[in-house]
Amino acid sequence: METNVPLIEKPTSAEIEKPPLLLSQLVFLRFKRHKMAVAGVFILIFMVIYAIGGTFFKTEAFSLVTDTTIRLNAPSSIHPFGTDAVGRDILARTIYGGQISLLIGLIAMVLEVIVGVLIGAIAGYYGGVLDSILMRFTEAMLNIPQIPLLLVLGKLLGDKIQPVYIFGREFSGSVIVIIAVIGLTSWMGLARVVRANFLSLREQEFVTAARCTGTNNRSIIFEHILPNTMAPIIVSATLAVANAIISEAYVSFLGVGVMPPTATWGNMLNGAYNYIETAPWLWIFPGGLIVLTVLSINFIGDGLRDALDPRALTQAE
Amino acid sequence: MGRYIIRRLLQAIPLLLIISIAIFGLLQSSGDPLATMGGKRVTRSEDRARLARILGLDQPIYIQYIYWLVGNDWVKLDIDQDGIMDSYGQRKGVIRGDFGNSLVARGQSAMDLIMERIPNTLILMIPAEIIILLFSLLVGIISALRQYSLTDQLITTGSFIGYSMPILFIALASMYIFAVNFRKWGLPYLPTVGMFDPKIGKTTGQVLIHMVLPIFSMSVVSISGYSRFVRSQMLEVISQDYIRTAYAKGLSERMVLFGHALKNAAIPFVTLVGIDIPFLLGGAVITETIFGWPGMGRLFIDHLTRFDTPVVMGILMLISLAVVICQLLTDIVYGWLDPRIRYT
Amino acid sequence: MNLKQKKPYLKKKYQYGTSLIFIIFFVWILLSGCSSTLTPTASPTPINITSAPTITALTANSEKIVTIALTQEPKSLNRSYSSSWSTSILTNIYSCWPWIYDEANVVHPYLLIEMPTVSDDGLVVTMKLRDDIKWSDNTPITADDFIFTQEMITNPANTVYSVYPYDLFMITAPDPQTVVMTFDEVFVSWMSNLWSGTLMPKHILQPVFDAAGTLDTAEWNRAPTVGCGPFNFTKWESGSYLRFDKNPNFWGPAPKLDAIVFQFVPDDAAQTAACLAGETDICYLPRYEDMETFKKAGLNIVFEPSGYNEGWFFNFRDMASPGIRDLNVRKAIAMGLNRQSNTSLRMNLVEVNETFWDGLPQYVDPSIVPYKYDPEAAKALLESSGYKDINNDGIREDKDGNPLIITQGVLESPERQKYQQLAQQQMKAIGIDLQTSSYNYDTLFASFTDGGPAAVGALDIMQWSDLPAFPDPDSSYWLCDQIQTDSNPYGFNYFGCDKTLDKLFAQQSVAADPVEQQHIFWQITKYMHDNVLYLGIWEDGDIWVVSPHLTGYKFSVVTPFFNIPEWDVTK
Repeated sequence: METNVPLIEKPTSAEIEKPPLLLSQLVFLRFKRHKMAVAGVFILIFMVIYAIGGTFFKTEAFSLVTDTTIRLNAPSSIHPFGTDAVGRDILARTIYGGQISLLIGLIAMVLEVIVGVLIGAIAGYYGGVLDSILMRFTEAMLNIPQIPLLLVLGKLLGDKIQPVYIFGREFSGSVIVIIAVIGLTSWMGLARVVRANFLSLREQEFVTAARCTGTNNRSIIFEHILPNTMAPIIVSATLAVANAIISEAYVSFLGVGVMPPTATWGNMLNGAYNYIETAPWLWIFPGGLIVLTVLSINFIGDGLRDALDPRALTQAE
Repeated sequence: MGRYIIRRLLQAIPLLLIISIAIFGLLQSSGDPLATMGGKRVTRSEDRARLARILGLDQPIYIQYIYWLVGNDWVKLDIDQDGIMDSYGQRKGVIRGDFGNSLVARGQSAMDLIMERIPNTLILMIPAEIIILLFSLLVGIISALRQYSLTDQLITTGSFIGYSMPILFIALASMYIFAVNFRKWGLPYLPTVGMFDPKIGKTTGQVLIHMVLPIFSMSVVSISGYSRFVRSQMLEVISQDYIRTAYAKGLSERMVLFGHALKNAAIPFVTLVGIDIPFLLGGAVITETIFGWPGMGRLFIDHLTRFDTPVVMGILMLISLAVVICQLLTDIVYGWLDPRIRYT
Repeated sequence: MNLKQKKPYLKKKYQYGTSLIFIIFFVWILLSGCSSTLTPTASPTPINITSAPTITALTANSEKIVTIALTQEPKSLNRSYSSSWSTSILTNIYSCWPWIYDEANVVHPYLLIEMPTVSDDGLVVTMKLRDDIKWSDNTPITADDFIFTQEMITNPANTVYSVYPYDLFMITAPDPQTVVMTFDEVFVSWMSNLWSGTLMPKHILQPVFDAAGTLDTAEWNRAPTVGCGPFNFTKWESGSYLRFDKNPNFWGPAPKLDAIVFQFVPDDAAQTAACLAGETDICYLPRYEDMETFKKAGLNIVFEPSGYNEGWFFNFRDMASPGIRDLNVRKAIAMGLNRQSNTSLRMNLVEVNETFWDGLPQYVDPSIVPYKYDPEAAKALLESSGYKDINNDGIREDKDGNPLIITQGVLESPERQKYQQLAQQQMKAIGIDLQTSSYNYDTLFASFTDGGPAAVGALDIMQWSDLPAFPDPDSSYWLCDQIQTDSNPYGFNYFGCDKTLDKLFAQQSVAADPVEQQHIFWQITKYMHDNVLYLGIWEDGDIWVVSPHLTGYKFSVVTPFFNIPEWDVTK
């Protein structure tokens, strides 16, 4: 008797030999598929090129030239972004300001995320005494007011740290101090959120399963639980960039950190405060650039989250 | 759970002590309250010496801290500069509830100053927080349900613009548009500054109408931030299996949303709210300054810039206490939201 | 929207475009919606001191209340406990000075029959009180109140902010209407330093002092219900406002207004908004950028020279850089700074001052010729003094090859930072490297022991706004014994000790004859101008923006509300 059961096809030798993709390759492929994320990457790269490459078009000295006869001019062909209250070209200032703002925003964000995730993950996973100590430390940090801390650290450390040279431009020690202070005082929220997620996730079955198979703790934390809690981390990182750039503005307002005439997007916004109605180009351009940067990071983050989502790995193939 | 709470409360005591020492040291090293007492002129050296002695600022830092903590009525001080330590101090110390007298508004106790302002701050911040919570949830949920649609794009862009603007801007812009320009254009307008019109008095109507702009300014930034968290967490939860199961069982969208999805998406949100609530006490410095709202934020910054340690310490310790309590509450709420969470 | 069918990877085609479109859309709306109203003015627009506008009929049963915006809230209403200007200007409202200054800063007797008489040796000052003056509870004001005030201020149990100068004299009262002050040494500036709103009612505060042992905790400090001014204290709502109502028992002319309210608006821009919206009637010291807007809104602007001048103080101490100690360099700086054009930062609405005493023109030597902006002459002067640009980097070096670097510190404010940038450029154009820093008040004026930059002489040029003991020309800035050292860490002199100058200042402080004092100041101003020890940036006067409904107002600098009984509102 003949049955119509279809034969199971044996894989050909060619197919057997193809190795499975690594996690990173998989993530990359899926990231590419996410058009917004790719757009985000391009915008970010464009920002960086704008900030760095712009130096070939306008020298730093030009961004400092003041000419009070042309102060507060609306955007025109000579000054595409207009001039500010002492007659400086805003386009040039956004270029050089961008270097500092991007540096501060991105590095402070990375610092924040690393510290926040580490503390939150360890506290949430191990629990017990370690959790208590870390969380009490977090509470202590929450209580320390940022303003006096910035003032004191700025005064103490501002002169002692050596300037850094990147791409031929000197960044004063105060930039390092600001990055460190902003990064090290903003992680508490993220740590709490990550910890909460870890507390919840470590009770799940896949963690028990991983333990049964003998996976070590470090692997469980970073390769099993962490990818499941990427969502709030991504959002935090995005908001952290905007937060760092705006915090820097507030800090220079207080007199610590990057002082005029050195421009940053943040202190350009400060200067525009007096002219909100009368000269909107003073704040629209730096503000717009900040928004673009933050948006691009958001899209990259969306893409990363979807790319790393372990549930989707089984669906979308 | 009960033992856990008691343990946490016990841990809070050394924590608060350490925090108070750290902040006290920070404040003392950030500036000198006597420098600004002369007004625009620098204080004369004789006056400086006299004031330092009377206000107890000539003592070393650790002694000042001890007096702050436990008072100085058990110690003899030399108040009238005759070299003889003959009069007892007047302070009882924080342990007994005396936060000392303000250095700047001399003669007034720090606690009085703070208590004068707390109601004003709470009147502003509590409605603001409620509005922020509700709208963040609303905006975040809508955004998540309609991911990548037109609405979502609008909301995303709006959120990022809102979050990227310094609150200075939003406050001032809204003041100019809704108060100054609306009045100019003959439209119904809002008042510019203050908690109420001094000529009319502190009536409910006045306070409500003066609250609108400050709450609006604060909400824009906060809602922009929180709604992103809510959205991303909702997206996570929505793609879970048990949600699909709930639909398969035939539950309505509303039941699924509120009964299942929201509870699980709420954890990060609750965390952030828990962090925020203590700072309600601290007021919103920038908003209060721009709108002239007589709250704790302005008190804090006024006295911080003049290095008035008793008042600033009073405010910060209150906030510290609130932080500790709120963190404890947040942890308890986690346990309710996600029954799997265990505290060892 | 059905959750079941949601697949996050669909509908991607709209994402890229829509986001970008929205961004562009928002930017376009913002740019077009906000029209630029600020046109750069090349020529200065004059500020008018306007007279009363047209009066229209008053509506029935409306209380005449004037609202004044203040950016700073006073910390105490007892003048001796607070040196802030907010307390000081309020004292004309609820308290009383023995003499007041009118809008031309001319002094008139107020509580006195005539201006006080000074004895020939300059040590005894006698004040004769009017016999009709009384406190708001109808108790007469007598010499006892003056004696009580001096006792309270000098009593160590009271933490007043300064005892000076009440500890310099003995006070007696031969009869209830006469007060005699006997000084140990001649004290020329008694008129500007004494009784400036400090008078305290003995019949109210003596019992308080006796009971508590100190005045620090007195209710009266926060609620001076018994006063001697045209208005009485009514209410102080912390953080919000202060209210004063008409004093029915006022001994002087009855005020026309019913009440005055001071509203605390800490932010400048918000204050402008409040004035534009008409919620406050008077704004004090608004931003220069808003002047046009005020004029368009029909508000009146009153400009009062206050004696304050913004200026560069030059450091000529030993630790200052050799460049700044060279007179030729200082002269070159004076000629290289385009001070006139730099006033565009204040919309060209201020005048450049030449000396520290320009607010008291009678004390300035009339033969002083202002330094003109002449960069070529500055460059020539530097060249001929041996400062040449050897290595062609734009900065001159001196004979030893050291670059000409001048450090400058300014008291921080956004306006000063802008000025720094203009100055840096103008100095660079003549070959000087001006390195500038901005400091907040406490950092800049930190004491010698704390290493404050001004105190230890680390800055070659310092910029802030200040005045002499206006309306007295005295100043301790250049006294040799005020230089800060380890043994004297709190002096006022950050600039240097010049023997000639020190002697002149010493002479003027004991000169009993006002003409002699005036001539000594002519010498002082000329000496300082010739040696460029101070470079004037601009006059920093008072600006009052007043609602068109207010009439009868005049502002003085020392006693701004001196004629408040004559103020009136029309609707």
